[in-house]
Amino acid sequence: MGITDMAQPDGPSRQSRLTYTDGTSRIVYATEREVAFPQGHLIVSRTDLAGIITHANDAFVEMSGYTREELIGAPHHILRHPDMPKLAFKSLWDDVATGKKWHGYVKNLRKDGAFYWVYATAVPNIRNGNIVGYTSVRRKPSRGKINELIPVYQQWLDQESTAS
Amino acid sequence: MTLKFLIAPDFSPERFAGWHMLNTTLQRRSGLRLHLVTPVSANEQSEALARDQIDLVYANPFDAVDMIRTKGYQPFARPKQRFDEMVIATGAGSDIAALEDLKPGCRIALTENRDVKLIGLRLLEPADLTESLIEWVRVDSYQAAARKALKGEVDAAFFLADAYASLTQLTRNQLRILVESAIHDISHVLLVHPQSLAELPALGTAFLEIGKSTGDAELLAALGLVHGFEAMDQEQAEFMIDLMDTLMD
Repeated sequence: MGITDMAQPDGPSRQSRLTYTDGTSRIVYATEREVAFPQGHLIVSRTDLAGIITHANDAFVEMSGYTREELIGAPHHILRHPDMPKLAFKSLWDDVATGKKWHGYVKNLRKDGAFYWVYATAVPNIRNGNIVGYTSVRRKPSRGKINELIPVYQQWLDQESTAS
Repeated sequence: MTLKFLIAPDFSPERFAGWHMLNTTLQRRSGLRLHLVTPVSANEQSEALARDQIDLVYANPFDAVDMIRTKGYQPFARPKQRFDEMVIATGAGSDIAALEDLKPGCRIALTENRDVKLIGLRLLEPADLTESLIEWVRVDSYQAAARKALKGEVDAAFFLADAYASLTQLTRNQLRILVESAIHDISHVLLVHPQSLAELPALGTAFLEIGKSTGDAELLAALGLVHGFEAMDQEQAEFMIDLMDTLMD
């Protein structure tokens, strides 16, 4: 079962319909308001093998705008921002499912439509030789790197839009 | 039989008496004989671990990774509400107003504490600074790091947050914090050697009950672990290790 459409925020926002890798889709709203990553903190979450959130630390709850109860049990793509091209996540699941670490700069969507940039790392949780879930840690990114990536992500989005 | 109890060498010198008090208390309550091993450096610790069977370790979280995953040590407790955080500070009169003012070629003082360096490097990422862009100035103590920062001999210094808090008020007044980590998920860990697991019930009980008896508050204050210890199982330790793995690069 997919997640429900976002509530439209007050003020100007862009509406998009996002379709996720599990085949579900929902309407999201994005505003131009950026929320600064809290200095010195890490955003930490864990998911099961299907990408369902099983753990959220306080920084994750605060930055996402959702309550912990809303996050636990939700798919991690609840944070997916419409400005993020699919290509940026292309190797994520392939890497972690084969025991590798994945890094990437990600623009995340908050519950209120605002956004925050992170440098994300995901690792598989390997117990007794088996992958039982995934841990993702997001830290404060370099602004220079983000500024380099914004036009690249836009180009990828345009290509995806042309191809579809 | 006497069990060897190794304490990671990253505690402040004024805690030394506290660890001896703890050792005495643990022996009395567990009925076990414990010999305290207090290496003064990471190298000495490695040598002690390679040379002897160390039965009980109060391990730095980064050293605990190898001990748990490679050597089979079993985690059983950790200090309660006491996390390993770090501080990056500059001299109070420095022109460095924010982390982003640190530029390639800047000089940063640090001790040999590897976890402080690792977390510090992650905190410097927003300033586009990587390890090779920094001129590192090695010092023997956090006091020496503070002196170099307040005299302007370095642009910034790395501190274990506890060590920074232990500096005198006069010293701290001459420093300015640029950033303090608030990770909350990384802490020291108590580990038992796989061949000493038979002693774990007595050891675990002795550790977890510290704080319940008269006089324990003074002991915990001397250790700087005022909330005592709490149980930590294998999965909680594995979670911490996975988290640290994400910080390695």
